[in-house]
Amino acid sequence: MNIFMHEIKAYRKSTFVWTLSLIAIVVLFMSMFPAISRDIIEFQKLLEGFPEPVRKALGLEVENFGTILGFYSYMFVYITLCGAIQAMHIGTSIVSKEVRDKTADFLLTKPVSRTKILTAKLLAALTTIVMTNIVFFIGTTIMIAQVQTQSYSTKNFILISLTLFFLQVIFLTLGIIVSIIFPTIKSVLTVSLGTVFSFFIIGLLVSTTGDGGKRYLSPFKYFDQAYIIENASYETSFVLVGMGIVIISLGTSYIIYMKKDI
Amino acid sequence: MNIIEINHLTKTYGHARGIVDVSFQVKEGEIFGFIGPNGAGKSTTIRTLLALIHPTSGSAKIFGKDCIDFAPDIAKEIGYLPSEVFYYDNMKVSDLLKYAASFYKKDCRTRMKELVEIMELDTTKKIDDLSLGNKKKVGIVQGLLHEPKLIILDEPTSGLDPLMQQRFFDLLIEENKKGATILFSSHILGEVQRLCDRVAIIKEGKIVTVEKISNLRENNYKKIKIEADNASDNAFVSIAGVNNLNVDGNLISFIFKGDINTVMTKIADMEITNIWIEEPDLEEIFMHYYESED
Repeated sequence: MNIFMHEIKAYRKSTFVWTLSLIAIVVLFMSMFPAISRDIIEFQKLLEGFPEPVRKALGLEVENFGTILGFYSYMFVYITLCGAIQAMHIGTSIVSKEVRDKTADFLLTKPVSRTKILTAKLLAALTTIVMTNIVFFIGTTIMIAQVQTQSYSTKNFILISLTLFFLQVIFLTLGIIVSIIFPTIKSVLTVSLGTVFSFFIIGLLVSTTGDGGKRYLSPFKYFDQAYIIENASYETSFVLVGMGIVIISLGTSYIIYMKKDI
Repeated sequence: MNIIEINHLTKTYGHARGIVDVSFQVKEGEIFGFIGPNGAGKSTTIRTLLALIHPTSGSAKIFGKDCIDFAPDIAKEIGYLPSEVFYYDNMKVSDLLKYAASFYKKDCRTRMKELVEIMELDTTKKIDDLSLGNKKKVGIVQGLLHEPKLIILDEPTSGLDPLMQQRFFDLLIEENKKGATILFSSHILGEVQRLCDRVAIIKEGKIVTVEKISNLRENNYKKIKIEADNASDNAFVSIAGVNNLNVDGNLISFIFKGDINTVMTKIADMEITNIWIEEPDLEEIFMHYYESED
């Protein structure tokens, strides 16, 4: 419990800043929505002017663009990018900072097992992400209520919003395993930004070809907003792969961390 | 009873040598010195005892339990001060000490306060703003605040001024009197000589010898210097055990090992103006261990 509280305190500020940034993105985009939905016909023409691969890469769904959820889905791409960076960053730093700042000697000579240390850190990281998501969800709900013109499916809104959390959990566990395999990472930010952007770009490329199988290559493509709006559910196979990544990353992290020389 | 039992402990880092076949025991209530030059394997041994690293082969027991398998359990009764102290930079000293204390299931506040006063530590400062010596003091307080039964010190005195060093040693002696066993690693012989009962000497990853400090010295090396009006080395050349014989003006000096009486009778026959018989310090004795195998 003490390690958990210690980590929560350590990440309090950065979580606050990240959450605020996410909400800022929502506010920024959503404040454009009334104008866009008013002139949606013009907008759709404009969008159709873009080549199809570009539209797909940017996640522009012309038919849905004028609806609040369609617009939200478009904006959500940037939310997930931002959220993934936050999660990957906390995942990579929360374990490796002890080695980098040489505080591992302090922590690991205390009467607490390595399993407990890793669990406490994992729970602390999860808590910050859950907090981010709760605040983000409330903020977004309020913002959408301000700008909506017609009613929308609350269920679909929740389903889309929840994918931020799932994506963050995937990147969090990826961050943890990277930091445990390469404990002497000099710059956590470079590694997390690099990994997240690589997956993001892979995601963009995959969207342009539209090939279903390749979507497994980027977690950003595991939750397709258009599919969610249409079917009011997730795609089971991608959910399973996402869970697989989380479980394997965590399992491997625990095994390696137990045996590691500090 | 043995508090620490190290059996054929070997640790290699890839092809690099760490320690090879290290074995020794530390008895309850002892202050045990662990001496060797930098890079000889002192820290590797200690870090294995603390389960920070895992042995390649061999094993070690602390309080009769395997130091890797029962690490969290053993750690309850261990106080550890590393050679270089690093703590969470943006924490206040008082918060760090509370965090350290929170790992032990007992109330450490009274002892913490006492230690802070003894070491004259300002607990309102941030760790980041502390000098090396003051960080070391934080290390000492956080290592001793739970009144551990075994205190492991890895080159603990670096960065402490002589006054604080003395207080720290007094503190260790006091803890020792209360029953704590102490493993004290150092490359400075003087401090080991002052504190320790027994000592293990490590060289290039291997234990050279484990000896009582008193034995080492009673190996009967004497440094003898004689001032005489008509000094000559004639009287001493023939005596077995005389080394480094040197005559300089009316000063004769040599190191002697053996029955001191044989030298004394020779000296008694001489007309001397002054005489010095000294214990060689451990430094001179240790050099013997380090030179002999080369």
